[in-house]
Amino acid sequence: MSDLLIPTRRQLIAGAAGLAAAAALPLRPARAAVPTINIGYFIETKPTMIAKAQGWFEDEAKAKINWIEVASGAQINAGVVGGSIDIGIGIGSSPTAAGLSQGIPYKLIAMLDNIGAAEEMTVRASDNIKSPADFKGKKLATPFGSTSHFRLLGFLKTNGLSLSDVTVLDLPPEQIVAAWARKDIDGAYVWSPAKAKLLADGGEVYKTYDVLDEKGYVIADLIIARDGFAQPHPEAVVGLLKAYGRALDLYTSNPTEASAVVGTAAGVSAQVAEDNLKEYDFVPLKEQLTAKWLGTPGKPGAFAEQLQHTAEFLVEQKSIRKSRDLAVYQKGIDTQYLERAVA
Amino acid sequence: MRYLRARPQWLVTIAAIIVVVVTWAAATWGGLVSDLLLPTPDELWSGGLDLMLNGYKGYSLGGHIGLSLLRVGLGFGIGTILGTLLGLLMGVSPTIDALAAPFIEFLRPLPQLAYLVLLIVWFGIGETPKIVLLFLAALPVSAVAARDGVRNVSPARVLAAKSLGASRAQIFRHVVLPSALGEIFIGARLSIGIVYATLIAAEMIAGSSGIGWLILDAGRFLRSDYVVAGILLIAVMGIALDRLLILAQHRIVHWAGR
Repeated sequence: MSDLLIPTRRQLIAGAAGLAAAAALPLRPARAAVPTINIGYFIETKPTMIAKAQGWFEDEAKAKINWIEVASGAQINAGVVGGSIDIGIGIGSSPTAAGLSQGIPYKLIAMLDNIGAAEEMTVRASDNIKSPADFKGKKLATPFGSTSHFRLLGFLKTNGLSLSDVTVLDLPPEQIVAAWARKDIDGAYVWSPAKAKLLADGGEVYKTYDVLDEKGYVIADLIIARDGFAQPHPEAVVGLLKAYGRALDLYTSNPTEASAVVGTAAGVSAQVAEDNLKEYDFVPLKEQLTAKWLGTPGKPGAFAEQLQHTAEFLVEQKSIRKSRDLAVYQKGIDTQYLERAVA
Repeated sequence: MRYLRARPQWLVTIAAIIVVVVTWAAATWGGLVSDLLLPTPDELWSGGLDLMLNGYKGYSLGGHIGLSLLRVGLGFGIGTILGTLLGLLMGVSPTIDALAAPFIEFLRPLPQLAYLVLLIVWFGIGETPKIVLLFLAALPVSAVAARDGVRNVSPARVLAAKSLGASRAQIFRHVVLPSALGEIFIGARLSIGIVYATLIAAEMIAGSSGIGWLILDAGRFLRSDYVVAGILLIAVMGIALDRLLILAQHRIVHWAGR
């Protein structure tokens, strides 16, 4: 028994050589073959769905893609930390700001859209809510941890309202619609299609986004790439962004055709898809490379400041432990892939 | 070997805890594990202290604990009392058993999350759906325990009581119920476990309060210090609830096991 278990010197040397060879192996072929890309994404009415439905992401990245549907940006963050998500498409600016503050090993590589009016406060028209003071004693719902939640808390803070003046409930979009129909809530901060359903069912828009955008509560949907994936496979990352660029071009040039494809992919009618798509400001890839948004490599744009401001707010909310210097958010934006994708 | 066996059990327990804590401290302080996955001991300490002193998002820590205990107490209390009554009836009367059994058997293995959305649609988003969810978790377990308790009463004892001239009510009160109490308590302990496990699901409904919600919300931003502090708290609360039931069991069914 024992002589079987104790290796001879020759076996030991052979084993060590084998181990060394195995350790050296991944160094060479890393660039050659791109492994299956794990992409975390939302089912939503965005041009990304065109590229997904048409297989453009696979074509341009020259790789197989494993699509992982997520329900929140938090899941993308957790997936990247655990190494099971390589690319996150559609993650909101607040989970991204949280992730960069916490040192999650990923970079913001491009934007999808500036959310603007697409996420907005909807209140019950019969409640006659016209000024911030009218919100006292009201029940509002929003998906916690989302960009809408961030905006809603920003609205309360900038108007001197506290969580004891207003009840804020954590509900996912579909449950917001149900709670609204039962008249359990007086208002909600959410996106379409939930927002559209509230508006159709006795709701009215209470405009907050213009003032909030000016005060530094800009929210956006973004694309992130895990460092451990993007660094060895830059071509694939550029390819993914090219695929999104193609989809965005199709939407700009032919919104009707694009809406039909998006509708099918997201499981809504072409009309609903078209209405939802219209609410977002999809920033053209070239424009993202200007100082107003992401900037260029070495010359980070103003969006880094938005991320920092978002992070500072999240610290106040006890959502994250600490925010970082502006440089951390500037380094968290990596526009080299985008620059090559539009070249 | 004999030397080891002579050591008291609690020493082994403490040694196991120390090994886990030391491994944790070494792994986190040594930088082996990111603090997104696990907090360092000092982060956990300061996170826990912060929760205690400043509360969490609108409620004090005591407020979160109180609301969770209230939900568990109401759901478990109503569910176990009604469940036990139903179970006793089912045990005594085969007709009631035949009537209620399919529903109880249907409900018992059903994962609570399966009907979560329905509860929101039916009962809204206040406290009602949360308590109903916990109630539905407690009811079938205690009903089955009480029914089986009644069924397992030794027929010899019932016959003995009968031959001594006891009425049906007397047999139930003095023979059946005391014999079934042991199983009823086992059912109650099972049910508090299930109710407690369902608490997080219940607090997912339009949450903004409760320990379960606190853990979920902190997890959203990978706040591992709050998450672990919350988990430790919820575990201690769970052990305390279980011990309370054991205490009650020893007082009420003091003859059991003798």
